[in-house]
Amino acid sequence: MSDHKPEKKAKPPRAFGWVAEYADDNKLLEAARKVRDSGYTRTDAFTPFPVHGIDEALGIKATVLPWFTLCAGATGTCIALIMQWWMNAFDYPYIISGKPFASWPAFIPVAFELTILFAAYTTVIAMLGLNGLPKFSNPMFTNPKFDRATDDRFFLWVDSRDKYFNTEKVKSLLESTGPISVDEVREDDSPSEIPKMIFSAGLALILLALVPGAIVLRMRAARSDQPRWQVFFDMDFQPKKKPQQTTTLFADKRVQRPPVPGTVARGELELADPYYLGYDPDKTAALEATEATRMVAFNAQDGAAAAAAAPSANQAAAPAPAGAAGEPNYAWLTEAPIEATEELFALGKKKFETNCAVCHGYAGYGDGLVSQRATNLAQGYWLQPTSMHEDRIQKQSVGRIYYTVTNGKGKMAGYASSLTPRERWAVVLYVRALQRSQNASIEDVPEPKRAELSSK
Amino acid sequence: MAANTLNDNVTMPASWRAKAPLLLAIGLCGVLVSLGLFHFGSSPENEATGFRMFFHSYLANYIYCLSFCLGALFFVLVQHVVRAGWSATVRRVAELLAYTIPFWAVLFAPILVAVFTNHGHLYEWSKGAGEIPAIVEMKLDYLNPGWFLFRAVVYFAIWCVAARLYFRMSREQDETGSTEITLKLQRWAGPFIIMFALALNFAAFDWVMSTDAEWYSTIFGVYIFAAGMLSFFAVMILTCYMMQRNGRMEKYVNTEHYHDLAKFQFGFIVFWSYIAFSQFLLYWYANIPEETLWYKHRLDLSTGWRPLAYLLIALHFAVPFLGTLPRAVRRNKNLLAGWACFILVVHWLDMTFLVMPNVGPASFMMLLGHFVCWIGMVSIFLAFFMYRVGETPMVATRDPWLPDSLAYQQMPM
Repeated sequence: MSDHKPEKKAKPPRAFGWVAEYADDNKLLEAARKVRDSGYTRTDAFTPFPVHGIDEALGIKATVLPWFTLCAGATGTCIALIMQWWMNAFDYPYIISGKPFASWPAFIPVAFELTILFAAYTTVIAMLGLNGLPKFSNPMFTNPKFDRATDDRFFLWVDSRDKYFNTEKVKSLLESTGPISVDEVREDDSPSEIPKMIFSAGLALILLALVPGAIVLRMRAARSDQPRWQVFFDMDFQPKKKPQQTTTLFADKRVQRPPVPGTVARGELELADPYYLGYDPDKTAALEATEATRMVAFNAQDGAAAAAAAPSANQAAAPAPAGAAGEPNYAWLTEAPIEATEELFALGKKKFETNCAVCHGYAGYGDGLVSQRATNLAQGYWLQPTSMHEDRIQKQSVGRIYYTVTNGKGKMAGYASSLTPRERWAVVLYVRALQRSQNASIEDVPEPKRAELSSK
Repeated sequence: MAANTLNDNVTMPASWRAKAPLLLAIGLCGVLVSLGLFHFGSSPENEATGFRMFFHSYLANYIYCLSFCLGALFFVLVQHVVRAGWSATVRRVAELLAYTIPFWAVLFAPILVAVFTNHGHLYEWSKGAGEIPAIVEMKLDYLNPGWFLFRAVVYFAIWCVAARLYFRMSREQDETGSTEITLKLQRWAGPFIIMFALALNFAAFDWVMSTDAEWYSTIFGVYIFAAGMLSFFAVMILTCYMMQRNGRMEKYVNTEHYHDLAKFQFGFIVFWSYIAFSQFLLYWYANIPEETLWYKHRLDLSTGWRPLAYLLIALHFAVPFLGTLPRAVRRNKNLLAGWACFILVVHWLDMTFLVMPNVGPASFMMLLGHFVCWIGMVSIFLAFFMYRVGETPMVATRDPWLPDSLAYQQMPM
């Protein structure tokens, strides 16, 4: 490197115009106005503190920076709103707090933050860009007098790249403004290579950065009889219970708690509402409670006396027939919890004919196509589907029929998965209508229509 | 340049002062006419509705005027506590505005009437235990007429003492030019700000928020404060503008001062929106019945107040935000005066939104009566202001900060 230096020194450093030094800001302002009025635009001033009016004196035009800020802010707002809408309402719709997918009030804080973020970063970056920063060297620095620009001296620089620059004219112009000194601004000719020490320091830093990783790798590979090193002890060992564990907090020592009586867990309404069940679960629970009480009383007594007493007690307490074996003893709904309308009738008819009629037949006599075919094959193990006009079925409450539709009976599968509760109730009501139609008397026909029937 | 020798007329035109009695008469008539309109507009089967509408409308318009007078007081205190130099030329206007607060204390009487007649025309809690929701009954230890009156007296005492001190001392300085006075006022500004803030916060709870006592919002005082400061800067800009149109204060108040007032006004547009939205967002998100009740009265489609909510978003935030954003607007006093008028109208809409939906669904007669009451209350405010100003110079001409203020320049662009 040393043998290159003389060559460089042989070339005289480039000049970048003239700089004048002033003792106070008033002189500087005066000079700046004079230079501005002479038509020079590539000028700059350097002062120890912000000088009011220097912009106007130098003829600096209003900056376009606010437009960068405004546009970036508006961009931030739009990006935030579109992003959130796209994520929450379009790409991955997910119910949060029961709010609509596109919840604009919830989007506002993020929109606000992004507006500020975009505007602030853009302002700083654009400010640096407009000022030509970062700039690691300035020809001004070559003049030792310039150090006092941060202390008690004011400088005015006319750049040689100005359109009207003329060395002699500018020099005499500056000299006429009463400066302390006028100097030529010379290029900084100090070596521009990056000092070797910086590379060495960088290398040392990189090597140091590898140390933690090396320690971790070594610990993973090596054996140790020390206890394990817990970095986040309270995260590894949290004071909480997991399912199936025991606790001393509750008398039954169970960690998992049963639901509070009289409450319905979220999403489990269908287990508690007669509309979904066909029976009233509360009343049913009361019914079963009396049965359970009897059972306890029965078991509490000893031997044959109890056995003898039991039937009579049973008959006394439950005079109504408990029904065939396996018949659930529930508090069935006797009224459909849904209003019977023409529309519901049509729905019930449609669903019945789609799902039920293949076995039970269109009129409900248990003579559907499947049944006919099975009977024809006469394979012996086919059970005729139940006719809906049997006395037993006619006496069943709507709730009981609904229960059968929902859960199935015998060979018949439940239809809960293919029919909605509303559709099931529609089918139940349609079954009721079928029963009525097949066992009708002339009184059921409206008065004006009776003549039509009897004439046939 | 000695500031107090500026050759400028700083007194209010005599023709304005002469109109004060007329304005006061118009104002009182306006308030009475609104009572008639409300009575006429209420349904015959429920005569109480007329009184309910009147007292609510009176309260909304009363708070409308009082809020910017309180804003003026806060402005004066803050200028002293931060030792602001720029505002010396306009501070007297704020001192005069603040010193109208003792007059407003007198006009608080109708609100006390509503409280002590126990009909619950304005505050349901004033009916006392037995006739009000259980949740309000639990608040009766705080919300009861005697304690309410006591608190109101304390609030007004704090404000009146502060307003009187800062006005009187500033006037004394007009005579003596003593720097000691400024130093003394600076010392007292801190404690007064604390008392002012507490009084304003609780006054907002007592007077405005308790019209719907089942509901509460801890940010409500700040909301009223934000609205009051915003409208104060509008009143300030408009006062300076009108004075200058009549050849007053021309040398004292310049573009730099307008620019700063406009920046504050802009700042409080954003601050109001921030507070209003913060309150809404939390209640909307949590969606708890007793917290959303207030918004239900205002946003439920059946009440007819919902358009006003959307109008506030547009007119109290979006439009003035963009409108007063450019530097060119802030340095143009004609445009600024226009925006100040705009702000004063939307401030009325805001106060309407706070109070009136508690009466019930919006109706034409209700809005008409409310509008007439507003005109009346603004006339009363103008009369108060004229009386208060009298021949007082509208610039503190011997304030030690005045040379600073006159030499003041914004950062260039």
